[in-house]
Amino acid sequence: MATLKTWRTRAALFIAVVGPGFITANVDNDAGGIWTYSVAGAQFGYTLLWVMIPTTVALVVVQEMASRMGAATGKGLSDLIREEFGFRVTFLLMLALIVTNFGNVMAEFAGVASSLQLFHIPKYVSVPVAAAIVWLLVVQGTYSSVEKIFLVASGFYVCYIVAGVLAHPDWRAAAFATVTRPQEVGIRDYGYLYMVIGLVGTTIAPWMQFYLQASVVEKGVTMRQYRASRWDVIVGCFFAAIVAWFIIVACAATLHTAGTTQIRDAADAAEALRPLAGEYAYLLFAAGLFNASLFAASILPISTSYAVCEGLGFESGLDKKFHEAPVFYWLYTLIIVVGAGVLLIPRFPLAHIMVLSQVVNGVVLPFVLIFMLLLVNDRELMGAHVNSRWFNAIAWLTVGVMIALTLAMFVTQL
Amino acid sequence: MSVVALSELLGASVRDASGAVRGRVREIAVAPQDHPTRIAFLIVKTPDGERALPPASIASAGASVRTGSDASEWERFTPSDGLLLLKRDLLDQQIIDIHGRKVVRVNDVELESTPVNSHLLLNILAVDVGARGAIRRLSKGVVPSFTLRALLEKIPPRVIPWQFVDLLETDPARRVKLKIAYGGLAKLHPADIADIVEDLPPAEREAVFETIDEEVAAETLEEIDPDIQVSIVESLDKDRAADIVEEMDPAAAADLLDELDEKQSVEILSEMQPDERREVTHLLEFGEHTAARWMTTAFVAVPETAVVDDAIDALKTFEGSREALATIYLTGPGNKLVGSVPLVTIAVSSPAVQLSELSEPYRACAPDTPESEVAALFDKYNLLTLPVTDEHERIAGIITADDVITMLRHRS
Repeated sequence: MATLKTWRTRAALFIAVVGPGFITANVDNDAGGIWTYSVAGAQFGYTLLWVMIPTTVALVVVQEMASRMGAATGKGLSDLIREEFGFRVTFLLMLALIVTNFGNVMAEFAGVASSLQLFHIPKYVSVPVAAAIVWLLVVQGTYSSVEKIFLVASGFYVCYIVAGVLAHPDWRAAAFATVTRPQEVGIRDYGYLYMVIGLVGTTIAPWMQFYLQASVVEKGVTMRQYRASRWDVIVGCFFAAIVAWFIIVACAATLHTAGTTQIRDAADAAEALRPLAGEYAYLLFAAGLFNASLFAASILPISTSYAVCEGLGFESGLDKKFHEAPVFYWLYTLIIVVGAGVLLIPRFPLAHIMVLSQVVNGVVLPFVLIFMLLLVNDRELMGAHVNSRWFNAIAWLTVGVMIALTLAMFVTQL
Repeated sequence: MSVVALSELLGASVRDASGAVRGRVREIAVAPQDHPTRIAFLIVKTPDGERALPPASIASAGASVRTGSDASEWERFTPSDGLLLLKRDLLDQQIIDIHGRKVVRVNDVELESTPVNSHLLLNILAVDVGARGAIRRLSKGVVPSFTLRALLEKIPPRVIPWQFVDLLETDPARRVKLKIAYGGLAKLHPADIADIVEDLPPAEREAVFETIDEEVAAETLEEIDPDIQVSIVESLDKDRAADIVEEMDPAAAADLLDELDEKQSVEILSEMQPDERREVTHLLEFGEHTAARWMTTAFVAVPETAVVDDAIDALKTFEGSREALATIYLTGPGNKLVGSVPLVTIAVSSPAVQLSELSEPYRACAPDTPESEVAALFDKYNLLTLPVTDEHERIAGIITADDVITMLRHRS
């Protein structure tokens, strides 16, 4: 009886704080992420699966810090950066965040367009409709109702797991490739190395840290409930990693085996899967892409507006009216309208803009991660909840490797 | 008299009597114990450690600070808890704007510099929360200072005068030393205080509730979102929480205690005064969404044999809410509810008329009536108040239309 009761309180506690960590980790598997995983599987088969374990660890380490800072201080990341590092730093960082997220939003709407093109819906219909849905969803809904929708959307990633199963992979080979050391042949291969960097690079993005910490605060999680919140982060990261694993495996089992290694975008991967893995796998892959793109497109604009307005001291929040928080709503609207709008311009240099946004992403990320580590170790701010010594060692190592890899990716893209 | 911005002074070079640069301004300190707005001294970083430079020895202050004394005469700076440091405690931090009733972030601080004899008097004038302060800080050191000044003149200022600023400080000991009492905040309407508090991080919320008057705290707490209510009460120490809950409307207090976990709710109850505790525990016996949980026990009831004048006397001594006065209830033998008289009827009747003659039919409900039925009764009979009666038909309390509006807003 007693154990049942503690179990029930624990379950209730977990449900009360679940969400932010799970959602953030899953949004990470957006249109760009799915494309990267597909290419990794198609080009290199199972040989890149080993990357998933260290990547998951890095993701958990960074997300856990963001979530802990939110619970311990009750403030968002941009608030903390503003309070500790001053106005000018915050201003420049926010400017960069707008540029990189703007590129990300375009990528998401491009994902919506290409996934729906598979169902013969032209982008001149799909993009404006998706933009309107995104805008209304957030402006009309309350945080808790929107969060529920997001949680359901996260659940849809199961599509990829099913698609992976339908591809009939060689489970033994896949499992073996996940836990063994990478083969030495590949390491000297430039394309292989580029892909490793790509896989890790899509995993941790600046916006995630701002979004996660802000939603932990918005949810009112305090250090008392933090244990449950930590599980939210860990479970979310593992689920996201498993989904990514299945995407790689699905493409490896079919495209790689059949010798189809050139994929232009994520929708292209779905198309290529069709003759190899069957109609259902194709449909699931396409539906999964649409869900992922729309989901990320819903979160990025709002999280950008929140971070920017809080850092720079403009009124923000969905509980405010349009005229009470004009900068907040205008920024939000502009990111969506322009981010979706440019896709409708014929011959728009989308690829160049995406590369540019990835470059800015790479430049911003080291600063964000270093600021996070400085903040999370500030005793005046975090009290007893600063990183422990061993955690700090892992965190600095992770951040160091992340920075090196992101810079490497950034150099290769120039 | 001229205005100088904190961001201009920070980093400014400090020259001694001979005009040689001896250091740079690192911080500006106010000692609220001595004077609430006057700058006590500038903290100057010199090659030989930090010095405290009082305005009394400053000849002019701007992009460069001139003093009439020699660097060797400047006193050594010793840190103290009782100092308000403008850069650390104010710049980029959140404050409460009493006038605008919201939480804002400080972009810059305006200081008023008044020449007195051969030195200066520096006072905090206002905090800048607008574009002017933001642009000044962005372009400092990038744009030449005279160009910048000319440019900034063109931007309309958005400042909050210092007397309308309440600082946020989470350390109770420091709050006392810095004389932070949320005096301005406490004068606002509780509903406005609630909106402000909801915008604050948890530690700052706790600071406000630890400091403001219990009665104001109680009224504010009633207006706050239930989830935040719970987290505030959980963070306060049990004594303080009990003091605040005692002042709350019993129905609101019962709702709050219901949301807390049982151990905490019992702890708070045991710290409360016996009368208030009895009332709240009685309400707690009824289910959460019932009539009993919305009723107030402060109402006006007089014997049916009384006259209009008696009713008016009862009104004069009544201490409950104004909404509860809309109807005067009449009681018969055994304190049973027998009738009701609207306030309007009393106002237009002559003093000697017996109340039973004015009595109108009334509706009543049982304590365990569900909320939805209560709302339906108000709607159907256009009620202003509804008495809640126990099994012996005695009035236990009344529900007002105002309560129903809150109830319906909660449900949607």
